[in-house]
Amino acid sequence: MLHYYDPRTESYQPGKNRLNPDVDYGTPVSLSEELVSISVDGRDITVPEGTSVLRAAALAGINIPKLCASDNLEAFGSCRLCAVEIEGRRGYPASCTTPVAEGMAVTTQTGKLAKLRRNIMELYISDHPLDCLTCPANGNCELQDVAGAVGLREVRYGFDGENHLDAEIDDSNPYFSFDPSKCIVCSRCVRACDEVQGTFALTIEGRGFDSKVTASQNDPFMDSECVSCGACVQACPTSTLMEKSVIDAGQPEHSVVTTCAYCGVGCSFKAEMKGDQVVRMVPYKGGEANHGHSCVKGRFAFGYATHKDRIKEPMIRETINDPWQVVSWDEALAFSAKKLKGIQAEHGRESIGGITSSRCTNEETYLVQKLVRAAFGNNNTDTCARVCHSPTGYGLKTTLGESAGTQTFDSVMKADTIVVIGANPTDAHPVFGSLMRKRLRLGAKLIVIDPRRIDVIHTPHAAEGLHLPLRPGTNVAIVNALAHVIVTEGLEDQEFIHNRCDTEAYNAWRTFIAEARNSPEAMEAVTGVAADKVREAARMYAQADNGAIYYGLGVTEHSQGSTMVMGIANLALATGNIGKEGGGVNPLRGQNNVQGSCDMGSFPHELPGYQHVSDPAVRERFQAVWGVPIDNEPGLRIPNMFDAAIAGSFKALYVQGEDIAQSDPNTQHVESALRALDCLIVQDIFLNETAKFAHVLLPGSTFLEKNGTFTNAERRINRVRKVMEPIAGLEDWEVTMALSNALGYPMHYSHPSEIMDEIASLTPTFTGVNYDKLEQLGSIQWPCNDEYPEGTPTMHTVDFPIGKGRFAITEYLASEECASRRFPLLLTTGRILSQYNVGAQTRRTSNSDWHEEDLLELHPSDAELRGVKDGDWLGISSRVGHTVLRAKLSTRMLPGVVYTTFHHPSSGANVVTTDNSDWATNCPEYKVTAVQVEKVSQPSDWQRNFVDFNKRQQALLKPTMESGEDCHATALK
Amino acid sequence: MSDQQLNNLIKMLDQIIANNLHHGDDDKVTDVAADHLHKFWARSMKQRIIAYASESPAELSALARSTIAKLEAAPE
Ligand code: SF4
Ligand code: SF4
Ligand code: SF4
Ligand code: FES
Repeated sequence: MLHYYDPRTESYQPGKNRLNPDVDYGTPVSLSEELVSISVDGRDITVPEGTSVLRAAALAGINIPKLCASDNLEAFGSCRLCAVEIEGRRGYPASCTTPVAEGMAVTTQTGKLAKLRRNIMELYISDHPLDCLTCPANGNCELQDVAGAVGLREVRYGFDGENHLDAEIDDSNPYFSFDPSKCIVCSRCVRACDEVQGTFALTIEGRGFDSKVTASQNDPFMDSECVSCGACVQACPTSTLMEKSVIDAGQPEHSVVTTCAYCGVGCSFKAEMKGDQVVRMVPYKGGEANHGHSCVKGRFAFGYATHKDRIKEPMIRETINDPWQVVSWDEALAFSAKKLKGIQAEHGRESIGGITSSRCTNEETYLVQKLVRAAFGNNNTDTCARVCHSPTGYGLKTTLGESAGTQTFDSVMKADTIVVIGANPTDAHPVFGSLMRKRLRLGAKLIVIDPRRIDVIHTPHAAEGLHLPLRPGTNVAIVNALAHVIVTEGLEDQEFIHNRCDTEAYNAWRTFIAEARNSPEAMEAVTGVAADKVREAARMYAQADNGAIYYGLGVTEHSQGSTMVMGIANLALATGNIGKEGGGVNPLRGQNNVQGSCDMGSFPHELPGYQHVSDPAVRERFQAVWGVPIDNEPGLRIPNMFDAAIAGSFKALYVQGEDIAQSDPNTQHVESALRALDCLIVQDIFLNETAKFAHVLLPGSTFLEKNGTFTNAERRINRVRKVMEPIAGLEDWEVTMALSNALGYPMHYSHPSEIMDEIASLTPTFTGVNYDKLEQLGSIQWPCNDEYPEGTPTMHTVDFPIGKGRFAITEYLASEECASRRFPLLLTTGRILSQYNVGAQTRRTSNSDWHEEDLLELHPSDAELRGVKDGDWLGISSRVGHTVLRAKLSTRMLPGVVYTTFHHPSSGANVVTTDNSDWATNCPEYKVTAVQVEKVSQPSDWQRNFVDFNKRQQALLKPTMESGEDCHATALK
Repeated sequence: MSDQQLNNLIKMLDQIIANNLHHGDDDKVTDVAADHLHKFWARSMKQRIIAYASESPAELSALARSTIAKLEAAPE
């Protein structure tokens, strides 16, 4: 188990002991290297200079009462409860705002201090309702604890003076309530919103007795700028800000540390439980990715796990027009195995395949690709990363030698210039977005390269970012222009290039990039971005001590996605921003386990650890453990599977936790492919869009119902721990195992840790990873092997896996998908904070209160031209399809660019996206679709069909769901 | 056999070649493109394009033809 520093048994050594995340040390850590020794109540302790007396005392194991201080917030010094006596100083200084000084002798308990503290508490309590026994915070209230600790016994002022006991409750937020009658105006919530979240939604209004907490301009929380991250709720020492789930269920009685299953930040949480019911999710301070912060999704949107729409039993049917038939696990698996074998017998070994899930654990993903390669006997395995970050894998492997980001999230705190390209961190990676904003408030510069003006550009209390609003589809043009400036203005890091990069590749690249056609002036007509702005940005990045690039799907989801990733790596190599903290190339991964699903060999050409299937030595090692021959040719990628299905050579597909019918481009093409399959096996928690075309439906389990690991965008392997039993008796890895056994290829694991042991034995970057070590260290960033036994926070510090860094030539080619007379606008897509991807989970929670439907954002000038007003129905047509959405006028994009999200299936956002794709990886070009937009009065044909088809499929499911109240499926254990 | 599948293969191949023209001479370009197909295309995709090149070579660009020829000649 994780070993934490215990002041009773060992001495404190700054930076060495692992602090207990369950203890609040009162004020933040000081990073000073200078050490100072003091004594507290006679106990000696040595701490970094700048540490508060309150924190030093806590590290010595002495708890000074406190109310306004917390170790994730700067000290404020308002409650005065933490008063102490210091030898040689007068009065009773507040220990939270008093820094340590060499030789200081502090006393924390005297008769005078006790009296002072009691008096303070007396004042607080005289204006506090005394309904402790019925208060939701009862048993977990700092005010109550401190009253107990200071020995408060009477309140002389009585309770009938002026007070706030009638203040009205604000219930507007679906997840937490605000009851100002309980507020002690400690301002922890305000500071949490400012310092931790960076939204600045709260203020203390008024002075003295009249002061109170208000959201924005005295708005209800829901109407304010609040983004519902919950940091204030967590910071509140009373029940003023309180989760509604706790108000309903009461205080939790035990907790389990696990990992959020939404985005690639991979926040650690304590799932606080009552029996097998999750009462609340509290971000875990010991989590290295989030340090105790979270967003609205991870903290609050977990109710989908117990939603009535969950698939609770295995089901089968012969055709997609038949009603679903509930069967036992054995029957469902036997049915599946028989179909798969029959199809292979008739159409050949390569006629079936599988899709792994970036939502499931590493162990589950590993098993699905193993099932395909070993039991199906082909390499037709792919994953949803195909449609998001496959170009990252290709581009970074080509240039830097490893298919992963180079840094930790914390590295951003050392960056001097931050470049964000095609990513929207405050919405899509919110906890990292908050960290980035913190760094921006401390003075780092920001460059944003994006067609849309995203929120991080305007960060409260930071300088405005430099925005380069390029035309969709011209990424490579702009990255070349930036590199051109760096090279021609002599801003390269020659030493780094000389020592760390391949000379021949560098020279070739340098000659190419220095050509005048790559200059910002020459590219201005292509990108639409003024040349002087590009020059300014290039200088800002190259001249910074540390320049860090963060990018997202706005980089990868293009016909030149892989080229753009290489262009980004070129920039970092040319400026020596690799192998050090504060720099790096950082893909922001969309889903919780995209990194992991790629690492685990989901791609058809690579075995786990990015080892190519054509390498005989690699295959031999896998064959020795798996006991079967492995095909030496790559298999089909998802779009190739669709083409082959329509062509009739691909007949069956096993899909785990992935909704290809909604998330993949050109929906009508995908639907025809799915209809062409003889056997579609879907394993999922809901009847998703794909499942409506399925013949076998296997109930999936949520992250709360399983053990395993996720790997986040910083290569950090985090543990997922089971807090409740899987709804249908089996965790996802157990289902895959059972399917494999039914197919006659034996798999026998009794716990995911055994699967991880197998992964470690076959994957050079994972050899040092095991569950015991994960328990000891909390998390591990791969590579973790003999060379790096505790993992690798920053990559490429000494050399690259390919020896030298390789510059790549990145010729800009215009996308075929360009605006024309018929389709004069460019559509680009993205997501918003409260919803998650296809929305299957978040739509089944109160997060929908923030985003009920997908809207089409368009510029007022484009709207005027078409006579469109806010809220009008708009038909959007591309060369492949047509859909209808409501209009929202917005100046976030330039004229000529329109934008929508894709969280609701009925929106049909992907009915219009085309099957153009990245040249190297077939990652779809979601981010550029030429469209026309016009006012309409009714939904599109596709949408009307969607409604009918959905109704029909729901009806085919309904009888089973009704009978399925209690689960009849026999578990297979 | 759907032509859509074949059309996509041809389109993908053209795209791969277009993105590697910077390698300079045709020999190098087709080497790189053939290697890409070798590494990333499934067996059935390779077979399909090789078959097509022998049936209707006229429909393919010269670079596409020589890429496919190199792919065919490469050892498994
Ligand atoms: S929930 Fe988050 S954003 Fe909203 S007020 Fe609290 S800290 Fe600020
Ligand atoms: S709401 Fe809670 S955290 Fe905010 S000032 Fe009141 S008591 Fe303090
Ligand atoms: S930032 Fe991402 S990982 Fe963290 S709580 Fe939000 S969705 Fe979950
Ligand atoms: S905790 Fe120090 S003044 Fe409140």
